[in-house]
Amino acid sequence: MTGLSKSEVVAELNRLFAEEVEAALRYLHLSHAVRGTDYLLVGPVLNKGFQETIEHAEVIAHKIRALGAVPRLELNLSLGPQSVAAREALELALTFEEAALEAYQDALHKVEGDVPLEEFIRSQIVTESEHVAELKQLLVE
Amino acid sequence: MDTWKEFDQNVISHSAAHHLMAIDDLIGKLGYARVSDIARQLNITRGSVSISLQPLKKAGLVEQDENRHLRLSERGQALVAAIKTKRHLMQRLLAEVLGVDAEQAEIDACKLEHLVSNETARRLLSFLRFLDAQPGRIRDIVTAWNAFDQQCDRDPARCPICADECLAENVSDQPQQGSCP
Repeated sequence: MTGLSKSEVVAELNRLFAEEVEAALRYLHLSHAVRGTDYLLVGPVLNKGFQETIEHAEVIAHKIRALGAVPRLELNLSLGPQSVAAREALELALTFEEAALEAYQDALHKVEGDVPLEEFIRSQIVTESEHVAELKQLLVE
Repeated sequence: MDTWKEFDQNVISHSAAHHLMAIDDLIGKLGYARVSDIARQLNITRGSVSISLQPLKKAGLVEQDENRHLRLSERGQALVAAIKTKRHLMQRLLAEVLGVDAEQAEIDACKLEHLVSNETARRLLSFLRFLDAQPGRIRDIVTAWNAFDQQCDRDPARCPICADECLAENVSDQPQQGSCP
């Protein structure tokens, strides 16, 4: 088992839950902030990002529930009404996807010993790494 | 001049000020500052920290090394020093001179710290130095002021400052706004 207590594991999962929910909201906002032909270019990528991050959030919420707790969500988010260019949207997505990836990498060290949780976080790291790689590829000049 | 637009001309936002102060604080405590440390300190997500740091890096206020450790540039350090000084001065003015409750003074100073101009801060510093140099005089003034304040009967006709309306009524029992982390 991991050296963390159950409440510490829940706290760690809550942090990951917040990362994913916030990323989902950012994707949702960005997908509507890109306009005109820019939407044709990156709209589908942003919509896919929204779907995937909200699914990740749900999986984490289930993990928290399985530990007998209720997910705790505290966000500090304010997204403006300005439109965003395609490239800028992808750069922003890359920034918060990289942050999410690092959050999972950190969490992995903390839950070492809890095999199911370790495996779950490993799989998330693989998925997040793929997202980051995809976005980087789209941003190549 | 459209004075209200000055708010948007400010060098940094309230959130940016807190990110810079968090970096400064963490480096002071731990010797380094990472995105995860800032997120924990400010109780926000890493994604939010990373997004907020982008314009600060572009503005040359924050630098990141190959280990992803963050540090303040010379300009960033100067900005943090100015913000901290302004917070301290505002806090003293509000609590010690105006008699605002210490906790409220801290909240209001936190809201104002990044908005006050250097010119105002310099005058405030001069004023507080003057007060510190003459501790007896300030006590007398505050005592006289408190006695005067109790005389306010909310009648604009007899008030030396109010014209058509009671200004005290306008600011009575305002709901408290959120505090700074």
